[in-house]
Amino acid sequence: MSIATHRVRRHDLALLWHQIRYEQLSFWRNPQSAFFTFVFPVVMITIFGALFGRVKAGSYFYGLSALQYYVPTIAAVSVLGACYSQLAIVLSMRRQNGILKRVRGTPLPAWAYFVGLLAHCVMVSVTDVALIVGVGAAFGVPLPTHWTAIAVALVLGAASFCALGVAVASLIRNSEAAPPVVQLILFPLVFISGTYLPIHSAMLNRISGALPVRPFNEALLGPFAQHTGFDWHNLGVLLAWGAAGAFVAVRRFRWNPRPE
Amino acid sequence: MRAHLTARPADLTVRAARKPAVAVDVAGLRKSYGEVQAVRGVSFTVEHGEIFALLGPNGAGKTTTLEILEGFRARDAGQVSVLGADPGDRANGRALREQIGLVLQDIAVEPYLTVRETIARNAGYYPEPRDVDEVIALVDLAGQQRQKVRNLSGGQKRRLDLALGMIGNPSLLFLDEPTTGFDPNARHGAWEIVRNLRDAGTTILLTTHYMDEAQELADRVAVITGGQIVAEGTPSTIGGRDTARTRIRFALPDGCAVAELPPGAVPGDGLVTVQTQEPTKTLHQLTDWALRRGTVLTRLTVDRPSLEDVYLRLTDHGAPASTMDRSTR
Ligand SMILES: Nc1ncnc2c1ncn2[C@@H]1O[C@H](COP(=O)(O)OP(=O)(O)O)[C@@H](O)[C@H]1O
Ligand SMILES: [Mg+2]
Repeated sequence: MSIATHRVRRHDLALLWHQIRYEQLSFWRNPQSAFFTFVFPVVMITIFGALFGRVKAGSYFYGLSALQYYVPTIAAVSVLGACYSQLAIVLSMRRQNGILKRVRGTPLPAWAYFVGLLAHCVMVSVTDVALIVGVGAAFGVPLPTHWTAIAVALVLGAASFCALGVAVASLIRNSEAAPPVVQLILFPLVFISGTYLPIHSAMLNRISGALPVRPFNEALLGPFAQHTGFDWHNLGVLLAWGAAGAFVAVRRFRWNPRPE
Repeated sequence: MRAHLTARPADLTVRAARKPAVAVDVAGLRKSYGEVQAVRGVSFTVEHGEIFALLGPNGAGKTTTLEILEGFRARDAGQVSVLGADPGDRANGRALREQIGLVLQDIAVEPYLTVRETIARNAGYYPEPRDVDEVIALVDLAGQQRQKVRNLSGGQKRRLDLALGMIGNPSLLFLDEPTTGFDPNARHGAWEIVRNLRDAGTTILLTTHYMDEAQELADRVAVITGGQIVAEGTPSTIGGRDTARTRIRFALPDGCAVAELPPGAVPGDGLVTVQTQEPTKTLHQLTDWALRRGTVLTRLTVDRPSLEDVYLRLTDHGAPASTMDRSTR
């Protein structure tokens, strides 16, 4: 009996690595999209740096300088873009043009496909955040010290917003609707969460504190600028939203462009 | 049974260990989309190693049937077995998809990878894939292998689809209208590929609305229309083609009155037709009649109903099934 006739199941980790590599390859093969993915957050933080680079610490920014405040919030919004927005739009498009269905027709397990996407989103998020911290440093923002707390918040945030992105993709029917729906959800949320302007309304903060964006901002602001470590409360809220997103995604995700 | 199984090496192939009697077994399959009854009690079997064609007009229910077998759609009723497993049972999904290949009706390929990368990526999903270069050569894309997929022509994309269908070295391959939109050369090329796969042992279930495709390719054909199979057989026997009466036709000779024609001859639009169970005898009598009168039988033909005749008759002269559906409701 020859070896060739034996069916050896490819080790799942090798399969996962294979999928991650090819997901990366298709991303980097589209240079325009790769360029804009990384340029957008850099442009944002540069503009904020130019506008607010000289604003000294004050109570409006909770005792921080303006840029100390904006480095973590712009970092957070770049993660939202890379995970939530991108994933919701890309998945809707891939479903619409039948690519998801084609994937479903292969033995690649669904979890491997999604972990491949998650790995990609984490890669983009980490790169974005590193670029933003770099530009911030160029404008004189001191480097953070609590790297572990930042890493945990980043990965948890990326995973949660990926789950929410997949959930939204599961609820949208066609790909043309994806970008407006994604923005419609994101824009007010980002605004009331203090990403671009600190919010000093206790009521508004209580509401946004229960929604996913502000907890992520806070979980990054602490270790980035206020020298606090893990923000367990906000990480918990984030995790709960991630779990809710994952629940909807698992229940409602469709691979087939044509509903039954 | 148990003793027999444990006597084998533990890692012997699943395929060999419990190879079912037939590759595909469908019985009483039904599927509706809301009001539309797309599949209404379809039954057929596909033997190992054959090419089986579901031939039918648009809207007949071919894709729906195939997608139920591929595990993409849930059925409303009926039994379905694909390589011995139920494709509707999610637990079978991965093991089943390792053994089947599919080419869907619509082309869907990621635009930014090259042809070679696309095939190599999918090869990595299977436990025992075919050689990437071999498959590229088989579908005749060697010249395009370093091109990005988005720069391929429609026909080349379809061949890439075919490559993705066979890269996993499937024992069963589903092809949904594999050559729609091909030029005649490309179609013959695709048929050649499909035949070679069959000859190498792959079972193939394809759908088509081209009669010549079914005729050229299929070992067995089922004609499906309005969600039902109306005939099944080999391309040469389907619809009673082999036992049907032979048809002799010729032009009505100049100056020959209808009454003067031999018995059984029926004049039609310019041609006289004789239907017969005994073509040798009838032809003899006919030519005898003509020679004695000194007339020439112009445009003389002797034929059996073509697959096309059978198909048009079975599918109600090609009326789209969907309009039939609506008018009968
Ligand atoms: N996803 C769907 N939703 C609603 N109706 C559908 C869907 N898919 C197919 N149909 C309808 O079911 C019938 C059979 O379609 P289909 O299986 O695609 O036929 P074929 O592949 O033979 O052209 C058609 O009337 C078609 O309009
Ligand atoms: Mg079809």
